[in-house]
Amino acid sequence: MRSYVEEVRALAAKDLRVEFRTRERFASMTAFVVLSALLFNYAVDWTVVSPQDLASALIWMIIVLGGLLGLGRTFELEKEDGAMQGLLVAPVRRDALFLGKVVANCVLLAAVEVIALFAVALFFQVNFIPNGLPVAAVLGLGTVGFVSLGTLFSGITAGTRMGETLLPVLLFPLLVPLVVFGASATSTLLAGFPATMVYGSLRLLGAFSLLALACGMALFRYIVEE
Amino acid sequence: MTLSSVRRSALVLGIVGVVLTLVFHWMVFFWVSTEAILGISQRIFYIHVAGMWSGLLAFIVVALCSAMYLWLRDDRLDEVGRAAAEGGIVFFAIGLTSGPLWARLAWGTWWTWEPRLTLSLLAFFIYIGYLLVRNATDNPEKGKMYAAVIGLVAAVNIPLIHVSVYWLRSLHPEPVVVRADGPPALPPDMLITLMTALLAWTILLASLIVLRYTAGRLESGVDNLALEGG
Repeated sequence: MRSYVEEVRALAAKDLRVEFRTRERFASMTAFVVLSALLFNYAVDWTVVSPQDLASALIWMIIVLGGLLGLGRTFELEKEDGAMQGLLVAPVRRDALFLGKVVANCVLLAAVEVIALFAVALFFQVNFIPNGLPVAAVLGLGTVGFVSLGTLFSGITAGTRMGETLLPVLLFPLLVPLVVFGASATSTLLAGFPATMVYGSLRLLGAFSLLALACGMALFRYIVEE
Repeated sequence: MTLSSVRRSALVLGIVGVVLTLVFHWMVFFWVSTEAILGISQRIFYIHVAGMWSGLLAFIVVALCSAMYLWLRDDRLDEVGRAAAEGGIVFFAIGLTSGPLWARLAWGTWWTWEPRLTLSLLAFFIYIGYLLVRNATDNPEKGKMYAAVIGLVAAVNIPLIHVSVYWLRSLHPEPVVVRADGPPALPPDMLITLMTALLAWTILLASLIVLRYTAGRLESGVDNLALEGG
């Protein structure tokens, strides 16, 4: 058991170290979410709708689209110089390899989400503080589900000629339950309702994320098989 | 059984399916009684339900073939899966176009964000992705493996489409034939028409799957010959 955790930790640490040194994905994802929020400002007539009403939709859409940008490049590094072969011959289990990628991607996306929340709070005067913890729980559970499916499908698209253009086609249909429960819970919380109102959505988000993670762990080995 | 004899029996099956399709259309237009509340628009029901039924059936075949392909690595399973996905998309397209036509008359709107409608539309796109992936790889074996993984993940959606009318607040009517609490809630002539429609398109689907399967086998046979010759 301990060695399994060690494997996952080592793999996640490798990816995060590379990302920390290059900051390629983090920089592009952050720029994307902030600039999307900025563009959104000009796309909506704020005299008709209030920013608070659209805040949860905005947050979820920029996270999904920004996340897609980073997740699509999960296996970019491994494509070069036969690095994937190196990983596959390493004495690590395939599901640990998947879990390591998921953990690294979750950390990366969580960092981007913090910046996205700051940007939305700053640009649209949305106050996250009163329901900060429940909002974090909703986003956290959503992130695990999104990253699990995204990492699995990113492994598939990395092996195709269509590459990242195929990722949304595969990923978006399966993300709908996540966006439905996540965005509705976030919007309830931002409207000032108590956290008890979103327990149902939180449970469904948790179940979805768990199922996505289990699917990924079970099926990832077939994707990287030679 | 040789490939050509399989193909011949699929053709016979196809002819039976087409004849039954003509019969059930005749029943829909000239024989079955008109529903009292919805009127003539309810006749879309037979085509809509048969389309969705055959589509779902095909997607179940895709899921089973995907799971078994990952386990046994038999190319024939992959070929049946691909054939079923193509057939399922055709029948789902019929269901997804006839649905809004009926909804406009029965609910007063072409489309509504109702769970069963949304999940069905999503299923349609997932299987488009399933077909796209397999043609987008340089190594066909990889494409088969990717498609099988997608076919298996997409299977989660199939039971959801079925239970959505029970579990979630929904506009879509509940099943009228196979019901948990009693016998079919349809008058006999409507039930006979529906059953004929379901039978016709199930047979047609089976014949399409087998024909596509034999074509696929021939294609891979040609590819293998080219490889050997080249």
